[in-house]
Amino acid sequence: MTEELKVAVERKGGDGAVLYTKGYINNVGGEEIANRAYELMDAGVRTLLLNLRETKIVNSIGISILIEIIEKMIDKGGRIGFCCLTPVIHKTFQIMGLANYAKIYTTEEDASRDLALTA
Amino acid sequence: MTSTAARQMELTLPMVADIEIAAARAAGNLGREMGMSSEHIDEMTHAIIEACINAREHSGCADNRIFIRFIGTSTGDGNRIDVWVTDHGKGFDPEEARARRPAPGAVHKRGRGLQLIEAHMDEVDISATEGGGTTIHMAKVEKKS
Repeated sequence: MTEELKVAVERKGGDGAVLYTKGYINNVGGEEIANRAYELMDAGVRTLLLNLRETKIVNSIGISILIEIIEKMIDKGGRIGFCCLTPVIHKTFQIMGLANYAKIYTTEEDASRDLALTA
Repeated sequence: MTSTAARQMELTLPMVADIEIAAARAAGNLGREMGMSSEHIDEMTHAIIEACINAREHSGCADNRIFIRFIGTSTGDGNRIDVWVTDHGKGFDPEEARARRPAPGAVHKRGRGLQLIEAHMDEVDISATEGGGTTIHMAKVEKKS
């Protein structure tokens, strides 16, 4: 049984991007997100929004990888936000401490406005 | 209060990648059948996922199996689902695990499974003995409003 995560990327302006995830964020899914995020960082992206509207399940290993992505972005002087979380994922992020280092938004519109992500 | 419509289910799952999803889906189906809210079901399934991952990653059991038992009970007060996740591995000391975990909200990359289970469920108790395996019993309770 495998639950493949799909990731789509949309660039926003010169140094922004949105990652859309679909599926289970486990160790494999987390690594997939990390690979895409690191590619974007290497390409100069410093503002990254992860839209999790099509992700309904996360686990603690996947979240630990998301925390590594946040740490790497902070090291580069950038910032990361998350949006469209289910209530249980929001609660899980808070317990895991992720909410201390990345902003969480209800909608992509709210996030784009606050993070100044432009088309 | 008289219990009605108790539903029982038992699963024996191999310790393979993503097998926790099978357990989560079974729990979700049971919860939906009982009319539990999606928020309660989501919290329960996330806790079960963490319990299965703990068993898979840390039990070191020889039989490579996770044994899961569900009992769903409806009463006049609401719904309750009890879940037991058992492995036949080396066991662990839950108090020691609790003592070394970071404070809620503090960033810490690993070792959060038990904390997440306790946060998402209404009751959690663990019976583990060194070399004698581990059973995590947890319950999700939804009272009628």
